[in-house]
Amino acid sequence: MNMALPSLGELREQVGTFLVEEAELADQHRYDDWLELWSPDAVYWVPCNEDDYDPARHVSIIYDDYGRLQERCFRLNSEAAHSQDPPSRLCRVIGNQQVSRGCDGNVRVRANMILVEVRAGEKNVYGARLEYTLHPEGESFKIRHKKVVLLDNDEPLGNLTFLL
Amino acid sequence: MTVVDGQETDYSSLIEEGRVHSAVFTDESIFEAELERIFYTYWVFLAHESEVPEPGDYCRKTIGRHSIVVARGTDGEVRAFFNRCRHRGTTVCRYEHGNAEFFRCPYHGWTYSNRGPLIGVPFPSRYGSDFEKNSLGLVPVPRLDNYRGFYFTSLAADGPSLADHLGRSAGYIDMFLEASPVEKVELSAGASKSNFRGNWKFVGMDGYHVNFTHKSVQDLQVRRTGNAGARKSNSDRAPNLTVDLGGGHCRLDLSLTDRVEIGKATSSLIGEIPDTDAGRQYLALMTERWGSEAEAYSKIRGSRDVHLHVWPNLQLIGSEVRVIRPLSSGYTEVFGYPSMLAGVPDEMNERRLRGYEWFNGVAGFGSPDDREVFERNQVGLQSDKEPWMVLSRGLSQAEVRDDGVVVGNITDEVTQRSQLRQWAKAMR
Repeated sequence: MNMALPSLGELREQVGTFLVEEAELADQHRYDDWLELWSPDAVYWVPCNEDDYDPARHVSIIYDDYGRLQERCFRLNSEAAHSQDPPSRLCRVIGNQQVSRGCDGNVRVRANMILVEVRAGEKNVYGARLEYTLHPEGESFKIRHKKVVLLDNDEPLGNLTFLL
Repeated sequence: MTVVDGQETDYSSLIEEGRVHSAVFTDESIFEAELERIFYTYWVFLAHESEVPEPGDYCRKTIGRHSIVVARGTDGEVRAFFNRCRHRGTTVCRYEHGNAEFFRCPYHGWTYSNRGPLIGVPFPSRYGSDFEKNSLGLVPVPRLDNYRGFYFTSLAADGPSLADHLGRSAGYIDMFLEASPVEKVELSAGASKSNFRGNWKFVGMDGYHVNFTHKSVQDLQVRRTGNAGARKSNSDRAPNLTVDLGGGHCRLDLSLTDRVEIGKATSSLIGEIPDTDAGRQYLALMTERWGSEAEAYSKIRGSRDVHLHVWPNLQLIGSEVRVIRPLSSGYTEVFGYPSMLAGVPDEMNERRLRGYEWFNGVAGFGSPDDREVFERNQVGLQSDKEPWMVLSRGLSQAEVRDDGVVVGNITDEVTQRSQLRQWAKAMR
């Protein structure tokens, strides 16, 4: 029996709720809870120097599979990650969401992010375009693919060891 | 200590055997003198040939405050010019890399060929008959030379040759290339660019910090392999060495601990040869090139373990070609290029990239902690009531070998003393 798919309006609302929840977990450094949002076949990509390319041929700021996401969270949970001791204070706003349903049942999302980071007497503002592929699970989702295109990904950057 | 500005000042007294004055890292007038006496005088790394592979390719670089264009002319020759229009000084090259037959100034349209000559001046009738267009080409860097594809420049017209400058470090550049069956690397994967609020000389060679600064990386290695070997390889009881090659060039020799143990423990940094078609093909290519499988493994590990600083601004570490860009006494940029091996299956380079990103870059698990320490170092050094830092570790036990190379235990400060002795020589 086919479950009725949510309307696009309902889907937008579910996605909006999900993105706010993810943003909150990242801002609050709740690494284990954040990791729960990901699918085991996930790819987490923060491109470097250009916005789109073959990551097998060009260096990335982050190109994590699920195993490396677990390592990232393990490291951040440990007390030895000096670059997050003390942790960055973070506040991000996600907006301009565009939600579409793929024919494979996954949900594609594009959004913009403004993130303010305060640490060690410095305030940094990062702007990024976000792309997600979300796999529906009940009324929520698992992240299959997340791409964070930083506006200044071709500039020398400082410390991006917090969750983007 | 009061430091007086000016080209006549002798700064060498700030370095003593076993200690260094904090002004070396914090004083802005010393930084200005470093630009003149080190970065605008000695051979410094500029670019790699693979950044301009085809005729017309160019890339833009920075040496101190000089913007420099490296261009492969339509004749195939690599040249380097100051990125400055001869008319009013506007930069003529806007992009970090690209392909162009000419560079045109946006201000008044003066146009230069990619070999340097001024080929176009709009409305030339308003210049007098003494206007010498032929003498107004882009100014080439005074000296440009390359060692096995690594292009260096010296902004001084005279001085020792590049070969003399590189000295013993050249042999380790050779070793770095030997992980490729055609002995070539390419910087085609681009640069991972980072900055930190600290002095450029912090980006050195230090075998003592690993167990502390990089404890989180070692914890990850233990989590992954169950093997705590890496921690042992950076202790005072490890057979590994700090090595002073002379001329400020130095390295860490991490190859001496049990290779099996270290091979496992550091596998995530560069990656072992995977048990896949690509891995077997790579090993076969290397075996064919180097004569035996044992020699192939030896070359692969040798390249991985080069861990070299070519003074003043180049490092070869694991897969990385790391370039240090000093911008002020308290601000530095680091460009890290994960080198791609030429002549190997694509999968090997993909693994090399993922291994690189694991430790390096602004969101990696290792190098951000280095930069965190460098920034705290810079803050700490501002408190200079007691301005001297201790650099005497292993000083009395250092061994001078027959060829003049100085070695110490991996946790010794042989490497720092090597670089600061060279610094004092340049800054005298």
